[in-house]
Amino acid sequence: MRMWIFIIRRVILLIPVIVGVMTITFALVSALPVDQQLIAHFGQPGPHDLWLYNPTLQPGQGGCPPAPNTHTCSNSFYYNAIDQLGLNQPIPVQWGVYIYHSLTFQWGTVDNHSTAADVFPAIKGLPVTTVLSWYLPYTLELAALSLFLILLIAIPLGNLSAVSRNRPVDQAARVLSFSGFAMPSFLLASLLLMGFVIVIGTASHPAWVSTTPWCPSGEITFSEFYGSWPSALCFGSSSIYPTWMGSGIHTTPTGFPTIDALVAGQYWLSVDTVIRMILPALAIAFGTIAVLLRFVRNSMLEVMNLDFVRTARAEGIPSKTVVSRHAGRNSLNVTITVLGLTFASFIGGFPVIEYVFHLNGIGRMLAYSIQQSQGTVDYGLIFGTTLLFTFIIVIANIIVDVLYAYLDPRVRLG
Amino acid sequence: MIGLGIILAIVLFAVYAATQPTSWNVMTQYCATNQTNGSAPQCSLGFPTVCTYPVGSPPPGPNCYQTPTNNPSDIAPTWNSHTLSGGPLPLGALTINPDGNYFFSTYQGLLRGADWSLIISVSVVAAGALIGLLVGAISGFMGGTVDESIMRIVDIFLSIPQILFVIIFVVVVVTVHPTLFGLGAVPSRMLILIVGFVIIWWPFYARVVRGQVLVVREQKYVEAAQASGASRGRIILRHIIPNSVYPVFIQLSLDVGTIPLFLGSLVYLGFSTIFPSPYFPEWGSVTALAVTNLQGFLVTCQVAPGCVIPWWQILFPGLALFMYAISVNFLSDGLRDALDPRLRR
Repeated sequence: MRMWIFIIRRVILLIPVIVGVMTITFALVSALPVDQQLIAHFGQPGPHDLWLYNPTLQPGQGGCPPAPNTHTCSNSFYYNAIDQLGLNQPIPVQWGVYIYHSLTFQWGTVDNHSTAADVFPAIKGLPVTTVLSWYLPYTLELAALSLFLILLIAIPLGNLSAVSRNRPVDQAARVLSFSGFAMPSFLLASLLLMGFVIVIGTASHPAWVSTTPWCPSGEITFSEFYGSWPSALCFGSSSIYPTWMGSGIHTTPTGFPTIDALVAGQYWLSVDTVIRMILPALAIAFGTIAVLLRFVRNSMLEVMNLDFVRTARAEGIPSKTVVSRHAGRNSLNVTITVLGLTFASFIGGFPVIEYVFHLNGIGRMLAYSIQQSQGTVDYGLIFGTTLLFTFIIVIANIIVDVLYAYLDPRVRLG
Repeated sequence: MIGLGIILAIVLFAVYAATQPTSWNVMTQYCATNQTNGSAPQCSLGFPTVCTYPVGSPPPGPNCYQTPTNNPSDIAPTWNSHTLSGGPLPLGALTINPDGNYFFSTYQGLLRGADWSLIISVSVVAAGALIGLLVGAISGFMGGTVDESIMRIVDIFLSIPQILFVIIFVVVVVTVHPTLFGLGAVPSRMLILIVGFVIIWWPFYARVVRGQVLVVREQKYVEAAQASGASRGRIILRHIIPNSVYPVFIQLSLDVGTIPLFLGSLVYLGFSTIFPSPYFPEWGSVTALAVTNLQGFLVTCQVAPGCVIPWWQILFPGLALFMYAISVNFLSDGLRDALDPRLRR
């Protein structure tokens, strides 16, 4: 019963945080020129919608202005748009409209002329939430895999380096931890990618490809290591993706690529998806592993000096059992605390890694939406991605708090 | 100790770079004279981009060297270990466009980049720490509603990924105000970048300081100061802050190393708005350019077997950035040992 009260209290306390984040994004959005705000929300105007901003006409008059364009009533589109966003109203009303739109998932429209729309033509003019919902499941799968790798590597290694303090294992773990702090994620990811391409790709490529059940026709070396899926060549003589995959961008019915491949009966494709995720997941996990390793080691060192551990040793319990059952319990608490603290930067690493490995997640979407090489910056996508990332972090924080309270009764009682 | 040594070396390198006769003052002068007739494309943004100019035109200044041939993989380091001389391209160069007509001297990039990296990261961290220290001390000392509301604001900032906030801040501010306060393109863009980083950076320090202040304010000497009639401001400034500053120093020294990594990530993502010119000399940016360039090579090398992979493009800037960040980490570790009273034996 108390647990439920605790959870509800945490959820209520997070509402001001969400509204606060939206206020910050609102402050930035409303600083943009009116045209840009309209494009970010409604997308590019159609051929008959005249969007030229005319400051001499008072917005909010509604209907058609006595326009020089006699053949259509196109300016009304512009004024309707302004009315809908409340841009002719005072700032607090605009703020309210923005919060309403953000909470009801009306996050804007993809710009037709942006780099992102140029790279992925399928998303042109679609609502931002639709586009993000295509790409989110992949990111979630990747995050789950890299969290799994973090737990798999950091906790045992931290315990080990605490037990064998100042011995070679500990020193190696320290070097790993320091390089995790100092290694730029894009450099690490690119080195991993290039290393695998060069070493494995050139050494064993021909033999390997001929034995892969999922790509009998073979694919070029590079795309064996990056991209979310095998190249289109691998899907038989017709050279197209299976229909359930939706032209290689998003999958149906669940959206999670691994599950979809299983549902469609393509078991090897499911395995292939996971294999393709391992390198990027390692690259994302590396920074967090570095932080967590230090904390687990230090907390373990503190616990190892406590009385109950000494008692357990004195009772003649094997050293391995003492570490895993008595002292090791504590590292779970530390893990959860550190994961909660570093989750924002963990999520912030996704755009770079997904961009390096060409993975179709929301991070890659963000990377293309901030580029100006083949078009404009896509404000709708940028702000939508920011809101989505923030939601993920806020939800993760709730989960961390609840887990922490579950593990440590002092938190929820105190 | 190692960390301190490397940082000292980097600072000396930055000072050396700033005092070089071929420093950017010369280039600025050169650009100022050549910009009007359009003979120097690298000056188009008012900033001396390091070494971009087409083959066939005369070298634009003492900073740039022409490619030996049009084959990009030939731009190898010209360093001669027997004579200990650098040659025109001591650390090699990057090709910028596919034709190999433009290139970017790694050595010059690192030389110019040392001071920009230090300026950006030190000013972000210093300003962020100052704000965070004040806000955290006030929040922790006052307690009650003030503390609660300040900490909620801190929570808001902490739940936005830093890299995303910097992106949206720089995108919007640069769109609305391309230049600030009548400054030139370079200073105003740097100011926008630094302010964006500071806004998202101070809450970390505020939280760290508040945690420490909650411990410090219960100490006897604070009580004594209150009893002797010291004002709140005096207690915060003279008693609370000096005694709760050490975790900030540790965090601060870590972050000096993190910021160039962030900048590199942003450049790697193709966020060209962040710097005034696409080939801005900053260590993170130079590394990101090198990585992008090398990946292009790998794709090319698949079609043309036997082509030389230019390892030097990624090695030197990557090593510089890595050494910089890791030395800062060593320094921070040493600071923790020296400053944390609990660890002192």
